Amino acid sequence: MATEEKKKELLEKLRNAVIQYDEDTAKETANEVLSVGMDANDAIFNGLVSGMVEVGRMFEAQEYFVPELLMCADALYAGLDILKPHVTQLDLGVKGSVVIGTVEGDVHDIGKNIVKMMFDVAGFTVYDLGRDVPLDKFVQEQLRTDSDLVCLSAMMTTTMTGMKKVIDDLRTKNPNVKIMIGGAPVSQDVAEKYGADGYAKDATNALKDAINMIASLKKMKDEVEAKKAK
Amino acid sequence: MKSVLRRELLCLGARVFGVAGLRGHVSGELAHLEIAVSIGVDRRLNEDTLSQLMKLQKHTVRFLKSRGYRTLAIPPDSDRQKGTFISKLYKLFTHKMAATSAGIGWIGKNGLLINPDFGPRLSLVTVLTDAPLEPDGPIEHCLCGDCMLCVQYCPSQAITGAEWSRTAPFVELVNLSACRSHKAKKRATDGKPNCGLCINICPYGRKESDSHNAEAKKPALERC
Repeated sequence: MATEEKKKELLEKLRNAVIQYDEDTAKETANEVLSVGMDANDAIFNGLVSGMVEVGRMFEAQEYFVPELLMCADALYAGLDILKPHVTQLDLGVKGSVVIGTVEGDVHDIGKNIVKMMFDVAGFTVYDLGRDVPLDKFVQEQLRTDSDLVCLSAMMTTTMTGMKKVIDDLRTKNPNVKIMIGGAPVSQDVAEKYGADGYAKDATNALKDAINMIASLKKMKDEVEAKKAK
Repeated sequence: MKSVLRRELLCLGARVFGVAGLRGHVSGELAHLEIAVSIGVDRRLNEDTLSQLMKLQKHTVRFLKSRGYRTLAIPPDSDRQKGTFISKLYKLFTHKMAATSAGIGWIGKNGLLINPDFGPRLSLVTVLTDAPLEPDGPIEHCLCGDCMLCVQYCPSQAITGAEWSRTAPFVELVNLSACRSHKAKKRATDGKPNCGLCINICPYGRKESDSHNAEAKKPALERC
């Protein structure tokens, strides 16, 4: 088992790898984490995610821009891909599954992928339908997987209208499912009018929300652990 | 800093090196990275070319990052991992634009980057950065002159013969669908889509050619 010092060093390294968008270091360190027998969960939340939270802050402070943000997300994924299979699931009461995709006619999926990252990190089972997804597919996939959440993304006003149809269909088939929509043309008004449960304005805001959600998830995790310690 | 980077890259096997100043030429998301480092190696189209390009690119990224600057490495066209976030932004910027802006060459009639010494026989990578490297002047116009060899030799008559200019609006240099369908045909008959006649025939940098030979023998940059 690794010493506290070594643990700290590796967490710091993971965090910096994300901030410095250094995929190679993220991979290397993730492997090192496993080889010294550190807890993968710890490494994800106190290493990778803590780095991403800092990246979110830098982005808001306009120290980082979209390219850096994307590369940081890539670095996070590089580490996450290695650590994830070794995660022992913590019961946070929020686990679940989600169907996500960009609606028919639309091929813009950066925002969708960033939101997907949030769910990946949070330990959700993600059914990613990709982009330009036929409207019926969302409903079918939701029924097939019995997911708790459906996330729809659209980048254009022309494709956004397709979301209304999906939401209506979902509501008739399964009134309990939660629906989130996102993309540049989406607003709070649209979300309300379409009957969605939540919305994110664009990739930037989705990421902010994502980071907030991950951050609060981290808090929950700490609380769970604090309780356990007692 | 620039001369150190240049020397290190040439030692590692780069054939050409240039720095482009891009202020006002890059789109919104990349606007804060207004310097492009363009690096070229001999085009052999094998694994070595690729690994060499990646090595040079990583070296450049490390070099600049360790000095506290930002970098965005645009990988070689032949090695673009799909599915990463950043891969969505690669197409906002092309290696050829970096190379012409860095004065490495011009866009020939065959639509490829032509360097006076190596002709179209270069493979390129680009690293965008905010490091204050002094830009080299761009090459603004096509220097192919009256040469029409690639136009004549192209088996699919895809090359229109139009001339590129940095300042003029876009003109079609190569009919890409004709070029592509020829390559598809080659793949069906030979099993390989190789063509590359427009590269082979180009007199710039061609080993056995007479016309530009004197110039071609001069090394482009001081070697170490």
